[in-house]
Amino acid sequence: MALAACARADSSTPAGTAGSGAPSLQIASPTNPVKWPINPGNEAIASGLSPEKDAVLRLYNYADYLDPGIIKSFEEKYADTGVKVELSTFNDTLEALAKIRSGAVPFDVYFPSYDQIGKLVLANLVRPLQHSYIPNIANVYPEFLNPFYDMEWQYTTPYTLYTTGIGWRTDRVTEDIAARPNPYDVFWDPQYQEHIAVLDDYREVIGMTLLRNGGTDVNTGDDALLAAVRDALLQMNEKTQPRVTITGYTDLPEGRLDLSQAWSGDLINAVSYLPEGTDPSILRYWFPKDGAGVVNNDTMVSLKGGQNPVLSHLFINHVMDAKQAMNNFAFTGYQPPQVSITPEQLVSDGFIPPNLTEAVVLPGYFDAGYRLLELPPDTEAKYLAIWQQFKAGA
Amino acid sequence: MAKRSQRFLWPALAIPSFLWLALFLAIPFYVVLCIAFGQVDPIFRTSIPAWNPLDWRFDQIAITLDRIFGANNFYLPPITRTITYVVTAVIVSLIIAFPVAYFTARYAGKRKGLVLVLLVAPFWISYMMRMLAWVNLLQTDGLVNSVISLGGLLPLEVNWLSGKPYTVVMGLIYGYVPYMILPLFAALDRISPSLLEAARDLGASGFDVFRRVVIPMSIPGIAAGMLLVALPMMGDYFTSDLLSGSPDTSMIGNLINGTIQTPGQSGQAAALLLLVLLVLAAPMILYTRTVARSETRS
Repeated sequence: MALAACARADSSTPAGTAGSGAPSLQIASPTNPVKWPINPGNEAIASGLSPEKDAVLRLYNYADYLDPGIIKSFEEKYADTGVKVELSTFNDTLEALAKIRSGAVPFDVYFPSYDQIGKLVLANLVRPLQHSYIPNIANVYPEFLNPFYDMEWQYTTPYTLYTTGIGWRTDRVTEDIAARPNPYDVFWDPQYQEHIAVLDDYREVIGMTLLRNGGTDVNTGDDALLAAVRDALLQMNEKTQPRVTITGYTDLPEGRLDLSQAWSGDLINAVSYLPEGTDPSILRYWFPKDGAGVVNNDTMVSLKGGQNPVLSHLFINHVMDAKQAMNNFAFTGYQPPQVSITPEQLVSDGFIPPNLTEAVVLPGYFDAGYRLLELPPDTEAKYLAIWQQFKAGA
Repeated sequence: MAKRSQRFLWPALAIPSFLWLALFLAIPFYVVLCIAFGQVDPIFRTSIPAWNPLDWRFDQIAITLDRIFGANNFYLPPITRTITYVVTAVIVSLIIAFPVAYFTARYAGKRKGLVLVLLVAPFWISYMMRMLAWVNLLQTDGLVNSVISLGGLLPLEVNWLSGKPYTVVMGLIYGYVPYMILPLFAALDRISPSLLEAARDLGASGFDVFRRVVIPMSIPGIAAGMLLVALPMMGDYFTSDLLSGSPDTSMIGNLINGTIQTPGQSGQAAALLLLVLLVLAAPMILYTRTVARSETRS
């Protein structure tokens, strides 16, 4: 907690003029991969320890983002330890980080997007992983053994992969969105007024607008580009009055929306929310064919405040088991980075309907795609101010 | 001795409510103040409350005021929108509630109790659940659309839930109208029938009785009802969240709610909250003072 306390003490100086002693946030990016420090006193646990007895393992995740079957199979597998798993959920990661920092609940395993790792390490909230407990790392794409956001996977293992694109229903939208020269323009097209939504996620919406404006940097701090984004977003409000929601995975199949900015997993998940008798082939997803769109992944970490470090490791390992990972994919719609998954097979096995082939995340996307990186605090403040103005309906 | 113990008994009885107010009103309010006048952690962008009033800074208040009155005043649209919605909803609520309350008070007779119970019945279900029920009814292929299109005969399909101001206003009216009916009923029920008879005996027409006796005598009830519905409507955010979800119908409540959850902006949320509180305190104080005065008069 020393560093966290330090951050607190230094922040009593006005923001922006923090003294040289203040810890600064390191920003990881593909061109600037980061190997995080191991803070003194926060070394990984020893190998070969036996799991905690009669423990309550506390997970902290988004709602509908973990197959209850995984929890059950974990409890069964380690029944001799008497472990009970308790899942708590959050709506957005900003809220989650605040709660973890408060230390109110000793969560063991957390599922953050990689843009939070820097803050989690800086505040000494995560525990380095003892690799010997996690042999299933061999099941995932090799790049996750040394990802740019956590070199040598000291703190994280990958959880799911997703792209951000556009989902729509062909029974309500007659044009082929994918055939547009700039498909992102649909969010400004008055013909979809009132039947359209964007994600309730400031990074995704601002990132999408940057791409729509012809940019290629979805993490820019450039004032002129951000001013253009703000103007475009206010214009979007005027032209299409979009809803701002992350429940597209039910709103689209249930007919509350015709068209929505969406995560790839949402569309795969949407199939199971279609009313009975509705043909799943009406759902479509667009993501740039060349992979030049927003591609991200979520991770699993063991929190330092948790009381069950050994079980945390075992659980993380359990989720990466090939069979469990596929069950989780079937439940959440979000693809795990398992090497055993071949995209063509997902469609031919009937796991994903052929009309949603574009929702499969291909490994090559991680080279061509844009990543939403952690932002320096002053840039983040600019993004949030734009978002606030957009949401105020000004 | 007996007298003395009584002297302590009554204040002692007030202690629980005093403690309650201190714990759940005064202390949280002080926290809001300390956040509004506090600072922001430079890295995590969480608020750092300034517990000591000597450390209070006015940056967050200044930012908030600038966004209401300054050059880029994007706090203003949700504020004017809220006022428009609330004024409309209060007027419509009054129009709906008055006949209902009047009927119940004058003509329900023995069934008065039953009618009142039925009016309050929706309150047995939480506000959130009732709004979620409306989400279901108002879907494009929902019950409301199939009724107004006569089961699909007419080409009428209203997309109610797509950021329509009238859907939000309707939700507010539906949600709060019982708060209007109950004080109106209380006021109308208190008017002695003999006063109305006296007016008729003195030659007043039915309309005159209504205009010159019923209305003036129900003014306290109308004022109470309007206040009771207007206050929660001003702070409401989930009606707009559930029935619209579009920034186009954002109200002050939505602005505050979104701002609280945003790192680095909780100070502004606290400042906005204080402003709303200041604005709403005025009619509240005015109301309690007139009520107190009329009570002492009677």
